[in-house]
Formats: sequence, C-alpha cells, structure tokens
Amino acid sequence: MSNKKYHFLGKDFPRKDGIARVTGREVYPSDIYLTGMLHGRILRSPYPHARIKSIDFSEALSLGAVCLSFKNTPQKHFNLRQVSVPRATYKDWQVLTDHMRQVGDPFGAVAAETEELAARAAGAVKVEWEMLPSYMTIEQALAARKDLIHEKVYLEDREITIKSNIACTREVAEGDVDKGFKEADVIVENEFSTPRVYHCQLEPRSCVCRPEPDGGITLWPTTQALHNTRILIGDIFDIPLNKLNVVRITGGGHFGSGIHTNPVVLITVALALKSGKPVRIVQSREEDMYDHCRYPSRYTLKIGAKKDGTLVAGEMKASVDIGSHHIQALSYLGVLAGWWHSLYRMPNLKYEGVAVYTNKVPTCAMQGYGAPQVTFGVETTMNMLAERLGIDPIEIRIKNYVGLGEIFWGQGPTVRSLIHSDGVKELLHRGAELIGWKDRPDPKTQTGRFRKGIGMARGFHTSGTGAPVPGEVKDFTTAQVKVNEDGSIDILTALMDHGGGTLDAAAKLVAEEFGVPFEKVGISPADTRSTGYDVCTHATRGVYCGGGAVLEVAREAKKVLLEYASRILDAPVGSLKTKPDFKLGQGIIYVEGMPEKHITLAKAAQTAMNKDWGTAIAAGSIRKVNCPPAYTTYFVEVEVDMQTGRVEIKRVAAGSDAGVVINPTLARGQLHGGFYRGAGYALVEDTQYDEKTGNLRCKGLLTNYKMLGPEDLPDPEDFQVFFADTYEPTGPMGAKGIGEAALNPVPAAIALAIQNATGIYFTRLPILPETILKAVKEGRDHV
Amino acid sequence: MRIPIVLKVNGKEHSIEVKPNEILLNVLRDKLHLIGVKYGCGIGECGACTVILNGRAILSCQTLAVSAAGREITTIEGLVPEGNKELHPLQEAFIEEGAVQCGFCTPGMILSAKALVDKNPDPSNSAIKEAIRGNLCRCTGYINIIKAIKTGAEKIRERSKR
Repeated sequence: MSNKKYHFLGKDFPRKDGIARVTGREVYPSDIYLTGMLHGRILRSPYPHARIKSIDFSEALSLGAVCLSFKNTPQKHFNLRQVSVPRATYKDWQVLTDHMRQVGDPFGAVAAETEELAARAAGAVKVEWEMLPSYMTIEQALAARKDLIHEKVYLEDREITIKSNIACTREVAEGDVDKGFKEADVIVENEFSTPRVYHCQLEPRSCVCRPEPDGGITLWPTTQALHNTRILIGDIFDIPLNKLNVVRITGGGHFGSGIHTNPVVLITVALALKSGKPVRIVQSREEDMYDHCRYPSRYTLKIGAKKDGTLVAGEMKASVDIGSHHIQALSYLGVLAGWWHSLYRMPNLKYEGVAVYTNKVPTCAMQGYGAPQVTFGVETTMNMLAERLGIDPIEIRIKNYVGLGEIFWGQGPTVRSLIHSDGVKELLHRGAELIGWKDRPDPKTQTGRFRKGIGMARGFHTSGTGAPVPGEVKDFTTAQVKVNEDGSIDILTALMDHGGGTLDAAAKLVAEEFGVPFEKVGISPADTRSTGYDVCTHATRGVYCGGGAVLEVAREAKKVLLEYASRILDAPVGSLKTKPDFKLGQGIIYVEGMPEKHITLAKAAQTAMNKDWGTAIAAGSIRKVNCPPAYTTYFVEVEVDMQTGRVEIKRVAAGSDAGVVINPTLARGQLHGGFYRGAGYALVEDTQYDEKTGNLRCKGLLTNYKMLGPEDLPDPEDFQVFFADTYEPTGPMGAKGIGEAALNPVPAAIALAIQNATGIYFTRLPILPETILKAVKEGRDHV
Repeated sequence: MRIPIVLKVNGKEHSIEVKPNEILLNVLRDKLHLIGVKYGCGIGECGACTVILNGRAILSCQTLAVSAAGREITTIEGLVPEGNKELHPLQEAFIEEGAVQCGFCTPGMILSAKALVDKNPDPSNSAIKEAIRGNLCRCTGYINIIKAIKTGAEKIRERSKR
C-alpha cells in the first residue's frame, strides 16, 4: 500500500444516489410513464421447437391493438452482445422470426392503450404451428442431422453452415501435455458440472421507447451497455446514431443480464416505430425467466502434479449447453481456458471447448463469466491432489498460484498481461487464522448427526479486459471532466453503476486528484448523444478501467485549471499544488512552500471565465493496457445434518485483494452479495426443464426456482470481510476491481466445506440435500 | 364497472374510481404516480411492492384496491411527512450501512423494516430475518440490510429518549 494519505479513498461517504433510492425517487426503466404511451405485450412460443405456418391478428386488430410480427421487422442477423470485435462475433439472432427455438421465443408483439387491453389482444392472436423435433440435452442436439436449431449463422459477412447443432468450438494448447503427464507423480481426473442459474435481477428486463419528431428515437432500456445498445439498434433499424439516444437509467439489478441488448428492447423499438407512439414493455417475471440464464458447464478436468505438489500438466474438455442462441459463446469458451490457466501455473495444457445449441433459454454472462464454473472444478481438484500428496491445501495453492511478475490471460488467450500486485498469500494466511483452519475437523473421524466442516477456495477476476495488445474484446471508456464556476466538478461518462458504487468511486478519484471535497464532485446525467463510447460496465472493469479513464481525463482538466491559476498567482505551473479546505468547503490551489499564496478553485474558474480564457475542461477515450487480477479467498464453516442432508452456513471469512479500497462499506457489500449468490449457486439454484414440453419446471415462479433467503445466511457478526494491503501500480491511485471476484471461489469453498464435514467430494452443483443423503447412504467419498 | 373509493395514502385522501379487480400496486403506480412501489413479479413472490396497510407490511400486488379503501396506506414516499427534509432513521441507516445497492428492493425492504421496528423496537437478527424473508434482495446478501435495520432501530430508540 502506498504511504500516501488519501482524503477520500478508503473512507465512507453517503452514496450519491442513496437519497433517491431510500425515498423511492430513483427512476428505473419500468417507472417511465410517457404521455400517449402504449403498453406492449410480446407474443411467445409455447413450444420448444416449431415453425409458424400462419398468424391471424384480425381479432387483436379489431380490439384496436397495434400488431407486429416477423413479417414487419428487419431480417438482418446480429448478435445481441457487442463487446467482442466483429471477427469474433457470431450472428444468429433476428428481431423476430417464424422459427421458434425455445419456449418463450418471441414471434410478434401487440401494443394497446392499456396493459389490460394489450393482454386481451395478445390472447386473441391465433397461430398455426408446424412442430419440429426438440433437442433438450447436448446429446440429443449433437445427434440431430436435420431440423437443426440454426441452419445458417454469420461471422462478419461470411455464412456458416451449422452441423449437429454445434454453435462453435475452441481449442487452446501450451507446451506438451503428453510429456507433462508423463512427468507427473499423481494425476487426478474428474467430470464436473454446474447449473443453469437464473440471474433473478429484481427488475424484470424492460424498455420504454419514444419516437422523436426528427425520425429518431429515445430509449430507456434495462442495460449495462448504453453505446452498444445504440450501435446495434441503429444498425438493425437503420437509424442514424445522431438521432438515436439511449438514456442512462438505473437498472434494478443486472448481474450480467444487461451486457447484451435484451430482446425486449428490440421489440419495444419495433412497436414504437410501427405505431409512431411511445411504447413501454415490462416483462413479467415468467417471461424474464425464459429470457436469460447463466452459462451452465460440464467438463472433464485432468491435472497432474509432482510429489512436491508442483503442477505439471492439465487437460480440460468442456461442453456447454448454450440454449437457443449465441450470446457470445465463442468468448465464453475462451475464458473457460483462461480462468483455469490463470488460477495455477500449468506449463503443459490442452483445452477443448464446444458450445452446443439446445431448445432452452439462451445463456449469457452472469457474475464471473465462467470463472465460478471453472474455479469449482479446479479448486476441488487442488484439494484432491493435496490429499493424495499429503500436502496442506493452502500450501499447494501457494506453491502453484499465478501471481506477482507472471503473465496471465484470465479473459481468454488473446488478453494477456503482467501481474503487478498480489495479495494472495496475505489473504490465505489471514483467512486461515480467522476461520481456525488449523483446527478444522478431520472428515474421517467425524461421527454424529451434525458435522462441522471448514472449506477454503481462492479465485480471481480480471479488472476489465485491457491488455497491451488489443484482443477479441473491446475495452475503453470515454469521459469528460470540467470545473464549474463555483469550484464544483462535473463528470460526464456513459460508464454505469449497477449498485456497487462504481460512479461514487470515480467521483472520489476526481475529488482526490483535484483536492476538492467529495460533495463538490457530481456525476452528470448521461446518454449516448452527450457521451463518447464506453464498452459497458462488465468484467469487473468499472473502477479500474472506467474510474481509471475518468481519473486520467481529470488530470488533463486539472492541467488546464493549473495553467489558469499560474497566470493568476504569477507562479509557474510546476510549483502549484491543490488540497481541500474543508472549512471553506472548497478546493484550493496554492504555491508549494508559500501557502499564503493561494486561490480557491471557484475563484480560478470564475477568473478564467471573466477574462475569457475558457473553462477548465477535458475529454478523452482511455484504454487500460492491463487487467490486473482482483484476488479473493473464502473460508467457510458449515454444519451438515447427516439425517436430512441440510447444509447450514455457520461462518464466513471473505478476503479480497482489490488494491487500494475506495469505498470500504460498499466493497464489503460486494463480498456479502457475491457470497450470497455463490452459496445459492452451490446449494439450491438451477433451472431445470420438462424435456417433453420444453417448459421450465419452476414454471417461471420464483418460489419454485428456490434461492437462499436471509434465514439461510450467517448473522452479520459471523461474516467477516478483510482486504489485502496491496497497491496496484497500474490502477487509478492503486485500485483494481472486486465485483465478480466476490463470487468466483464461493461454490468451491462451500463444496469443500461439505467435503470436510462429510468426507465426500461433490462434483456437481447444486449440492442438494437429497444428493448428500444419497452419497452418505451409498458410502461414497466422491460423487 | 367502476367503484368510487377513497384511498388514504401517506396521510392524504384520494377519491378515485377503480375496477373491482384492480390491484393496489397498479393503482398506486399508475393513478397516484407513487413509483417507489415497485413491480418485481406481480404475483406475491418478491416483496418489491410492499406497502404498510394499517400498520402491517403487505404486498400491494396481492391486495385489491377496493379492499384498501378507507384504511391507512404508507408507501416509501410517505415515510417522512411531506415538507420534512430529513430522512427517516431507517432510511439514513440504509445509506450508512451500505444496505442499498441497485435499490429496487429498498423501498419495500425499508417498509417491512418499519412495520417490524414499530412493534419490536429492538429486534434480534432472527426477528429481522423473519420480517424481511418475503422481501427478495439479489444484490446485498442481506448482511448490510440486517445491520441497517438494527442501526435504524437504535436511532429511533435514541431519538425517542430525547
């Protein structure tokens, strides 16, 4: 950690959007009501795989509804996710089609003056169907030779013929894996699988669209990516971008479900363009559950180690059931290899991944983007290796982890960068002490109904996707910073804050840089017409890449301000410093060594205005050339009821290496939330299907889907969070990311705690009570 | 068919006409423009639409507007009397303790908390967990929400001493 004393970083301030959110005044897309607005309803397939022979809208039309089908929408192919460069983006999606690929696939929409009328109109639409064979598993999909889910997709302008429902494949190899395994003293091989978790962001995906008099549109969508939404819609509907405004509006949770432009946004736009009126669509919860989910995974993992615990070779074969569409499975296959390779040094490695279409809900990013999936198997394997070799699980991790001074490529093989800060050992040692690692039970000697277990896992996430050489993923942020005439500062950027405090962090960085009180820095409302491109708030990039860009632009604006101050104070720019004066509630600029020679920011800005020198303002697009790993460790204590299979989480010690921590309370909140979602992932959450009907077994009901509630989590006193004392030299004032790292190791830590209690390694998530009971009954040590 | 009713919301009486099947959630949002009452599922599963009805936290999506006629309804907008610039101690505590992330569950969560602390001024962890189990929060993992409800309750107790 740097010795530098910060005024604002590392201290808690009330979040800037706090008052709006606790008073009910925060406006979300589903809260936008416009004069003359129509309410839309999407028409969706009740069948998993079918073609529409005919649609009869006559009754809906007679009710006065505006009706839309695939016959009225552009037929262009695209990918909803615009984060990767075109050469790595498969295009299989259309606004609407007659080919239904899952239950819930949209084929049309209606809009009417009230929600009730829209619902009646939707119910009055008659459709004649041609049924097609459905493929609900990877095996069924791979065996298909005709009636494929997609016949042709596109990569740039190239047409690609799909075979056996394979969406794409990816291979990565380093070193000589056969030679590596020959050198191994111990080899562990298992198959792991992880479930199709539903994001369950509290606000269903929604959109409001208003056609404008100039032929353009204004949009209020649920999205994490303002500019990508704008560019995609402009392209599909042929709207000039300078007439297409996407407004930044708070979303009621995303967790990755808004990195891609949600289909509801496209359909709302199509209805608004057809009707010429503002249209609002708020999806029902059931519709939302048929709209998106986390990538599941199934993979074999083989790792070989020497007697001393050094890893020598690894092989992974992954197959991913991606559902009805491609929301960038190619990059997902790449990061599966990346997370694995960047957790532990693996000199010889072979990876094969295949993404397969099925007639299920399309899969997309969700907190971790493959990292929790892979970390679960890798961390479990590390414990198995440690057990076979008689090494402490912490020691084998310290021996092999990818840390300081090493190259890593967590975001896939094309995004490689060097590690400059590393708090892993500190996290492991402090976590071990807090949980009582030395005194953890021996699973072999435990008896009785209630058995305690302590588990540990580590992981990381990249802080963004920056690298020295641009790869397949776009990563930069545009910002503008200006000093106002009262000494306050405005930050303008399309960067988004999903609730973690990203924009507050950016404001703190600017306050620190200018030496002005935090309250003096404001975040301007943003939309795509007033801001430059920002790729999206995803990949744990908000603070490091986004905040980093804002800080660099602030430094440019400060240069302009100091030049004005230099004229006023008659002192060279190089002698000028800034600091906050809390009594004045202002920032001041002073001559170093001559504190009496000073001026407030307000006075400097006013003088510059009155003398016609200009405004202290700067704008720029900044790309970070690193994506440092934000490391986390979780130590978890559970109690397993051997008679019911119920797992109770007793205590958690969560450690995070986020570099310099900017918002301490909010950062701790990231770990609480990451743990909660990770624990649900480990223990209960999954979307299962009725293979005959293609319906979700939970029928779109949250109570049937099952998530953990407050009563399933430890008390606040039993949940400790601590931070490593590190400084990231490439980061904004030493900071790196935290968000997704807060979840990545959690499922593994819980599975290993259950192993410590029961003596059974579980390789499939979620670990349900009945799975535990069955394994206990059968006397298994591995299931 | 439309039924004339008087809805008493946040201390104000509103004479409106509703259909017999209209739910309170839609009336509060669409007719009275109280957007702090959130739509998260509409079928009583998430708690985002929680309001206080005669002192009890209830789901406005599971309540017919006609059945709420003449009863005292409090939404997040009415937690502090109009014109009062200060926040309610629970609102303050939610900000201080980092219990607010995306904020979509926050209004309902605060109202469930208020209904609890009005009856139980010093609630235990388990009493808080019981009171908020119908309010889904996907961001926070509930830890800071539990802390905030304790802190808010403490603030209320201290203020009542003064």
